[in-house]
Amino acid sequence: MVSLLKLAQVTEEGVRFLSPHDGSPMLLTPEHSISLQNSIGSDIIMQLDDVIVTTSPDLARMKEAMERSVRWLDRCIQAHKYPERQNLFCIIQGGLDLDLRRACTAEMVARDTPGIAIGGLSGGEAKDEYCKVVETCTGLLPEKKPRYVMGVGYPEDLVVSVALGADMFDCVWPTRTARFGNAITARGVLNLRNAVYSTDFGPIEEGCQCTCCRSTEDGGLGITRAFIYHTTAKETAGAHLLTMHNVHYQLNLMRLVREAILEDRYPAFLRSFFAKLYDDKSKYPDWAVGALKGVGVDLLSD
Amino acid sequence: MSLGAPMPDVSQVPPEMVDFGLLKTTGALAPRLGRLTLPSRKPILTPAFLANTSRGVVPHMSPDNFRKYAGSNGVYVGLEDFVEKHPEKTPPIFEYNVPEPLRKFAALPQDTPLVLGARRTPPIPTPAAHTNTAISLLTSVGYKSVSSEYYAAAARKLQPDVVVGMADIPFGQPAIGIKRKDKMSDRTEAWLRDLVATRSAMATAEPRFAIFAPILPIERDLQSWYLEHLLDDMVDSISGVAIYDAFLLDDLPDALHHLPRLSLHVPASPHELLRQVSLGMDLLTVPFIASATDAGIALDFSFPPPENGNSNERQTLGIDMWHAEHALAVTPLSKHCQCYACTKHHRAYVQHLLSAKEMLGWFLIQVHNHSVVESFFASIRSSIDAGTFEAHVAAFEAFYEPQLPEKTGQGPRARGYHFRSEEHAKKEKKNAKRWNGELGGKGKVVLKAAHGQQPEKKQEMMDVIDDEALIGLVGIEDDADAVQLEVLKIEDDVKE
Repeated sequence: MVSLLKLAQVTEEGVRFLSPHDGSPMLLTPEHSISLQNSIGSDIIMQLDDVIVTTSPDLARMKEAMERSVRWLDRCIQAHKYPERQNLFCIIQGGLDLDLRRACTAEMVARDTPGIAIGGLSGGEAKDEYCKVVETCTGLLPEKKPRYVMGVGYPEDLVVSVALGADMFDCVWPTRTARFGNAITARGVLNLRNAVYSTDFGPIEEGCQCTCCRSTEDGGLGITRAFIYHTTAKETAGAHLLTMHNVHYQLNLMRLVREAILEDRYPAFLRSFFAKLYDDKSKYPDWAVGALKGVGVDLLSD
Repeated sequence: MSLGAPMPDVSQVPPEMVDFGLLKTTGALAPRLGRLTLPSRKPILTPAFLANTSRGVVPHMSPDNFRKYAGSNGVYVGLEDFVEKHPEKTPPIFEYNVPEPLRKFAALPQDTPLVLGARRTPPIPTPAAHTNTAISLLTSVGYKSVSSEYYAAAARKLQPDVVVGMADIPFGQPAIGIKRKDKMSDRTEAWLRDLVATRSAMATAEPRFAIFAPILPIERDLQSWYLEHLLDDMVDSISGVAIYDAFLLDDLPDALHHLPRLSLHVPASPHELLRQVSLGMDLLTVPFIASATDAGIALDFSFPPPENGNSNERQTLGIDMWHAEHALAVTPLSKHCQCYACTKHHRAYVQHLLSAKEMLGWFLIQVHNHSVVESFFASIRSSIDAGTFEAHVAAFEAFYEPQLPEKTGQGPRARGYHFRSEEHAKKEKKNAKRWNGELGGKGKVVLKAAHGQQPEKKQEMMDVIDDEALIGLVGIEDDADAVQLEVLKIEDDVKE
């Protein structure tokens, strides 16, 4: 349970919070959370966890949250009615403290859920700390279970996390940023609300195969940056168009990642990915260089 | 032209741009059936409606969805949606150097007829008056004015299929003096002349647009000067008329009767659409589709109305999808509707999307609303064909309420160019503030989450859940909103 909700109050019983819609108090227990997800019938369902701000200095509270998440996992497993058709994922907690993460991972792996999520990240922590947590957890996880890092979505975070052993991600950023007129491209994020794009009649990203960027001859819409500039933040359809592009970018990125892994050339993929994103090696983020060095990929080599 | 006529000299005469054939007509001021054909576009069977655009898109529909769900007829585009950089800079669209820049820019399908006017429909009244040479517009950054030459040049550059001549109409003025009406007639004449001249100056190889002449919303004798010149000098250059007041169709000179009639008379309801059609309108614009969608209203009417013996109460023309009563309704938006939204989704989902302010909600309603109006026009055509139109109109008026339902829900964020200048001056917010995280002094605390929570049946679970904590929370019993949530069954509530 992510405490984006300011007034959430966590007790052993569950999370009490005020509805973000109308401010009425609500209570979510692990059992109720699973019951709802059983009703929804999704293929993957998530345990209710106790999440506190990743960067919280309160180690005691962090430990309490981690241990409570383990206890809640037990309650979720108990309450889960369809283990044969819905996959319950545990969520590893423990903030940025690697010992807590190790302890949590051990407890949760022992409970043998079909998939394992690493939670509580993507909350404003330093990127190198994030990488350490992911690497620590994945190092302790069984090979044959999917590892899902929650709330991660920047392209560089995705490719580095894959190198650190993560399999799945989710993030609102590609669609959210689209609503603000930002286009994700291999050369970085472009804010198409900038007036320089008002007369840019090229596609959002050259060579992109999404419905917007493909030319009309190729069965696409042939949408130009200038048209996104023209509609974004003024008509909802502008957001629709950029959302299509951004989601396509992310899906295609992960497709390229899978191909590179299958063909055993992921390190080379990473190098070319960063070479496109930054025009000079000196601009590569230290955290990415460091994290990848830790798994034997030298970004700075040629 | 009739079959027996001698072939015209093609080198002298520009290719026929608009072919409008009347398939059935029963005289003046009567509904008529026609077929409007623009070169390389899908023919339009009339009466029909044009999809109304805002900034080049049908609101809430990306162009790919427009193709799939609303691209049946043509579109109406207002130039004012594209010229906000004028006069400081060249508006970007004029720098797009491709064939048919407007169609390409807005990603409109190749076969969709494209009609360009100076203003959106309905136009927002502008505080600045028009001048002898220029019209006053409202762009997304404020009021601008463009000259008649500028408009003609824009039409030439943008290459739409049809251009509606600029009309000098002081929108928003309750009463217009005789002198002002004289001026309207003079200016509209001059402006149309500019447009005709621009097109005549175009090389034969250049893509040509057809011109629809505006017919002013004033009495015939007050625009007689304009109409005389129109008939004497320009009638061969125009391919249609754009009508701002359908009730003055009576005044339309006979010599213009063969031309297609585009209505820019803003209808408030389907009844008004029927009235316009009954007076002989061919091509209509229906801004209430989008305003209903913005308000979360799913249109719900058909023509002729369904057979319904026992009810005396008039039926509503639309369903307010914001209403909580739809939260559990797994039924289509309207019964028997075959649109994408009604066949793939249901009211409960649309209601949920609106409450969550998800754009998809408005999209689904928009698809539905377009489909409803689409079927409405198809039925109008068959009814005219079958000679039952008048009887069906009477039945429609008796069956449905006269107006669309009141808007209750919150639309998507309103933009400056969506409302009138007087409204800008009002103090209250155009967009409601989001809930700010406080209880707002209602004093009463109610619990909504406990609804699905039933006492656990498994012993081991009873031990860990503190049921009393749920029951002990205040106000469960008399919370009206919670009632409907209580009937929501969660799977583990059901039988042993």
